[in-house]
Amino acid sequence: MVRRWSAARLVTAAVLGAWATLFWFVWLSGRTTLYLSGRTAWLVPLGAALATIAAVGRLLTARTNLDEQLDARTAWRAAILVLPVLVVLVLPPASLGAYAAGRRSSFGAAGLVTPDDFEHGPLTMIHIAAAETSIEDLGRLRRRAGESVTLEGFVTRDEGMPADELLLTRFVISCCVADATTATVRVVGVPPGVYADGAWITVTGRVYPLGDRIIVTASSTSPIAVPADPYLGAV
Amino acid sequence: MVATIARTRRRRWPIVAVLLGVPIGLYLLEPVAGPWLRTTLIVAGSLLVEAVPFVLLGAFVSAAIEVFVPASAFARIATLPRPLQLPAAAAAGIAFPVCECGSVPVARRLARRGLSPSAAVTFMLAAPVVNPVVIASTLVAYRARDTQWLMVGGRFLLGFVVAMAVGWVVGSRRSEDLLRARADEEDEPDDLGAGRARRFVGHLSGDVLFMGRYLVVGATVAAVVQTLVPPPVLDGVASLPVLGIVVMMVLAFVMSLCSESDAFVAASFVGFSPGAQLAFLVSGPMLDTKLAALYVGTFGRRFLRTAIVTVGTLTLALCLWVDVLW
Repeated sequence: MVRRWSAARLVTAAVLGAWATLFWFVWLSGRTTLYLSGRTAWLVPLGAALATIAAVGRLLTARTNLDEQLDARTAWRAAILVLPVLVVLVLPPASLGAYAAGRRSSFGAAGLVTPDDFEHGPLTMIHIAAAETSIEDLGRLRRRAGESVTLEGFVTRDEGMPADELLLTRFVISCCVADATTATVRVVGVPPGVYADGAWITVTGRVYPLGDRIIVTASSTSPIAVPADPYLGAV
Repeated sequence: MVATIARTRRRRWPIVAVLLGVPIGLYLLEPVAGPWLRTTLIVAGSLLVEAVPFVLLGAFVSAAIEVFVPASAFARIATLPRPLQLPAAAAAGIAFPVCECGSVPVARRLARRGLSPSAAVTFMLAAPVVNPVVIASTLVAYRARDTQWLMVGGRFLLGFVVAMAVGWVVGSRRSEDLLRARADEEDEPDDLGAGRARRFVGHLSGDVLFMGRYLVVGATVAAVVQTLVPPPVLDGVASLPVLGIVVMMVLAFVMSLCSESDAFVAASFVGFSPGAQLAFLVSGPMLDTKLAALYVGTFGRRFLRTAIVTVGTLTLALCLWVDVLW
C-alpha cells in the first residue's frame, strides 16, 4: 500500500516540536529560574528531551496508508496547544512583583533553617521569615540582634507606612511560581521618596527583632537590576 | 475539488490570525494593561512549564502500557474482587511519583486495557497523594511543627481512603461508559502492518494532544483566578470550623498546585486549623482547575460531578473529625 504524508500527523509533529523548542529555549537561555525552583529545574530538560523524541517520532511516522484529513477541530486543538508556546517566546522575561506580593500569603519557614545555620551562617530573608513564624527561631535571631545584614529584594509598602520605611520583599517558591509565597522584612531609615513600589534594591543595615516583628535599620541602600534568579527556594 | 481547496484555505485564516494576533496583542498590551496581566501570564506560564513534562511522561508510560504490556496482565487483575482491587490500585500509586497531570493519561490507558474503571480511578487519585516524593515534601514543609506527623500521616491515610471511596462510587461502570470516546483512538489500529514503534508513537502523540489542550485551558483559568482572588479575603473565615475547611478546599482547587510542593503553601496558612490545612493537602491533588479540565475531557462531566461530591464531602467529614480529635 502507498503511504502518503498525513497533514494531521505533520501538524501534531509541529505542535510537539513547538513545545520542544520552548523547553530548549527556556533551558538554554537560563530562563528556567523564572518559572521553576532549583528543586524542580530538572523538569525543563526532561520536557525538552521527551517533547523532542515525541516530535521526531511523529515526523518519522507521518506517512500513512490511512485516509487522514486535517479537519478544523484538530487544527483548532493544535492551535490551542501552540498558543502558550508563542506567548512565552514573544513576551520579554518577567518575574512577579509588588502587585502579586499583595495577593500572596507569607512564607511559613518554621523549621526550615537549622539551629546551627541560625547561629553561625549569614542571615537571609529565609532566616527572617523563619523567625516570624517560629518562637524558637525568633529566640535564635534575638541572640544575633544588631548584626549587620545585606539583603536584596523589591520594594512594597503597607498603607500608611512612614516615608522613610518600606517592606523589602522576596518571593519564595517550592516547585513553580504558582506556589510563590512572600518573605518580607520591614526596613527603616531609607531615603524618602526614592524607591517606587516594585523597584529592586539592596539594603545593608542591622537586624533587630521587635516583639514578634523583625526590622532592619538601613545604613545604606542602592538600586539593583532584577536578578536572573529572582525567587528564593523553599528548601 | 477547487471549492474544497478554497474552503480549506478560508478555514485556515482564523487560526493563523489567532496564532499571530494573540501573542502580538499580548506583547503590545502587557506593558500598559496593568500588573494583573503580567502576573496572570507568569503564573500560567509556570504552571504549564511545570506540568507539561509530567503530561509527556504520563503519555510515554500510557503508550508503553498500550503497546508493550499484554492484555492478559490486566485480565488477571480484573478477576480480583473489587474490595481487593481498590486497595491494590491505591497502593500502586506509591510507585508513581509524578504530578497529578501525569496520572490521568495512565489511568485512562489502564481502563482501556482492561483494568476495572474503579481501580483505574482509584490509582489516578491516589498516586499524586501517597507517593514518597509528596510525603517527603510534606514532612519537610511541616518540620518543627507539632502537626508534622498529623499532616504526613493524615495526608497518606486520608488520600488512600478518599481515592478508594471515589473508585467505589464509580462502581461497576464499564470503561466504555466511563471514558469519553476519542475519534483519533478509533483510528489508532493504524497503518496496516504497523510495528510497535509506530503504534507507540501514535498513542503517545494522541495522548499528548488530547490531554494538553485541557491542561492549557485549566492552567489559564487557574492563573486568572489566582491573580484576581487575593488570600487576605480568606483571613476572616480561617477560624470557622466548617467554613475554614471548605475555603481551603476551594483554595486548593483554584491554586492548582503540584502535590509535590503544595505542602509549603498549606503550611503558610497558619491561621487555619490543622483539619483545614489537611483538607488542602488531600483534596488539592485530586481536584483542581487543571484536573477538572482533564477530567471533563477524559471522563466527562458526570465523573467530574462524582469526584467533586465524593472528594468534597468525604474530605470535609474526615478533616472535621481530625479537628475535633486534635
